[in-house]
Amino acid sequence: MSRYFREWSVAAALGALLLVLAVFAPAFFQAQPLLSLAAGEAPTLVVACGMALVIICREIDISVGSQFSVCGVCAGLLAAHHAPTAVALLVAILAGAALGAINGALVAGLRLPSIVVTLATMITWREGLNWWRQGEFVYLPDRLQWFGLAQATGQWTLIAAALALMVALAVGLRRLALGRFFYAVGTDAEAARLAGIRPQLVKFSAFVLMGALTGVAAMMNVVQSPQVDPKSGTGLELKTIAAVVVGGVAISGGRGSLWGAFAGLLLLACISPALIHLHIEAYWEKAIQGAIILLAVVADGVRTRRAKS
Amino acid sequence: MSSAPASHRWRAALFRHETLLLALLATEWCYFNAVGAHFGTLDNTYDIVRHSVEFGLLALVMTPVILTGGIDLSVGSLLGLSAILFGKLWRDAGLSPAAAAACTLGIGALGGGLNATLITELRLPPLIVTLGTYSLFRGLAEAITHGSDTFTNFPPSFLFLGQERWLGLPAQAPIFIVVALGVWLLVHRMTFGRCFRTIGFSPEGARYAGIPVKRRVGLVYVLAGTVSALAAIIYTARLGQARADAGTGYELYAITAVVLGGTSIFGGVGSVHGTLLGIAAIAVLDNGLVHARQPREAAGVLTGVLLLIALTGSVAPKLWAARRRRPAASPPPPASAVSPPLATPPT
Repeated sequence: MSRYFREWSVAAALGALLLVLAVFAPAFFQAQPLLSLAAGEAPTLVVACGMALVIICREIDISVGSQFSVCGVCAGLLAAHHAPTAVALLVAILAGAALGAINGALVAGLRLPSIVVTLATMITWREGLNWWRQGEFVYLPDRLQWFGLAQATGQWTLIAAALALMVALAVGLRRLALGRFFYAVGTDAEAARLAGIRPQLVKFSAFVLMGALTGVAAMMNVVQSPQVDPKSGTGLELKTIAAVVVGGVAISGGRGSLWGAFAGLLLLACISPALIHLHIEAYWEKAIQGAIILLAVVADGVRTRRAKS
Repeated sequence: MSSAPASHRWRAALFRHETLLLALLATEWCYFNAVGAHFGTLDNTYDIVRHSVEFGLLALVMTPVILTGGIDLSVGSLLGLSAILFGKLWRDAGLSPAAAAACTLGIGALGGGLNATLITELRLPPLIVTLGTYSLFRGLAEAITHGSDTFTNFPPSFLFLGQERWLGLPAQAPIFIVVALGVWLLVHRMTFGRCFRTIGFSPEGARYAGIPVKRRVGLVYVLAGTVSALAAIIYTARLGQARADAGTGYELYAITAVVLGGTSIFGGVGSVHGTLLGIAAIAVLDNGLVHARQPREAAGVLTGVLLLIALTGSVAPKLWAARRRRPAASPPPPASAVSPPLATPPT
């Protein structure tokens, strides 16, 4: 079987879903709603790339939703106080990287398990943001929306930016030494250490990168609407972990690619609109998402067992 | 357990952790008593008990799960699904509340059984399995109620369970005490329950020692599912309403209480009485901040920070000792530090 079997099987599932839609609900394929869907998912793609990096290192980050909200509100507040868009973007990235560095320091420096650390930071940032803002929306100046471009141009810019980021990261992960280190540390941290890699430093950088990407994603989300919702990141961690796992990134680390995460995200993103077009109640979305996650991990589990025996 | 000094040191550490928790609890109590006018009253104490029984039950059964080196993120979602199915059985299937409650407990066991099967039979990591069922259970609850249907108008005889007093105590308190005693006996007084710590300490070693690891690990998840359903019934009785979003975020509070109570997230070390202190610390903090006229969010922030401090405190002595022993080289991670929640239990 080819190296990308897992990625291709997700792509095939996506193709099958699109085929069903083409036959039973051709209304799904309208340019404008599809463009909006893609632009809406662009920030999620960027976060999913970061999540894939962290999971390849055999860690996990469930605080991304809260980080996303904090970065979005910070960037929005700056923009509302007449800061240039570039400054707002820079601050969002720095804020994300700082939050990621806190997670990274606790996980890599103190060797605490990432699931509990990010659980704690998730509650802390979320409740801290609620305390600070009391759930208030940030209203943005007009020039910020779609970077001051026309809506369609703005949407295409966002999609292109997200795709470019993903391709750059995917190539970097394969070609750069640091990219290979992520796989090495995720496969076996002790072996990586004996090979001269500093596993804790690599893990730390994965969390910082994750935070910075979340900052970029938050900014991509901010420019899509006239106000910033402080709850915009709710559930983002689940959505991205689901996309990454469905895309074949092993939760036990060291295996998977960003292409798979991309295919997984596309599949999950199409479910909600597909349900509406196929006249299935939208309330089933979460249950179907959960079932898909379980199906993906069961498939992986069965495959690795068969490979071993 | 063999060498006396090792066991002494272990006991001393345990003692220290629990003393610290008690001190924290006492500080909380004194501070809120001084600040809030009605904090120290009996009525308020009962209020604290009523509000903490549900997440407390989840924390109690989360303790053996974490002791085996696993984690269960789905308990809050299963609470929601159980509440909905309880309402459905009572209102639409016409069962009496008692019969509906019995069926709900069975459903909870089935939900836990799903987790157990995937984790033990297919050897999948608990973290990702329960993340999937976290989404699945909540999604089913939303799908069944179409996101808006709620169940109300329960008979007063049922609401008694959540709102009235029995023998001078809140009616749900005896249930909590029975479950707490049961879990404590299971974990601390039975060889059967001691397996949990053995498995968490070294699953491979436990298997060589002849422990049926699969069955024991499966049992803790089934137990967690059943008690989640029990918590759902009490939740419904307290609020007089069953909704799809019941118990959202409770898994976080449960895990926090367990870790705060001194149970190692790597598995193998921990106690049920520690968890009880952890539950009390969170419940008093949550209630006291309202009496101190602080915003509700402060409780969330403080809980998160407390969890981080407890985690750091639990590893700091080990790290410090390792650094002192070998000042030059960076210490290798302890064998258990490779995130056991991600690791698959061997069979």
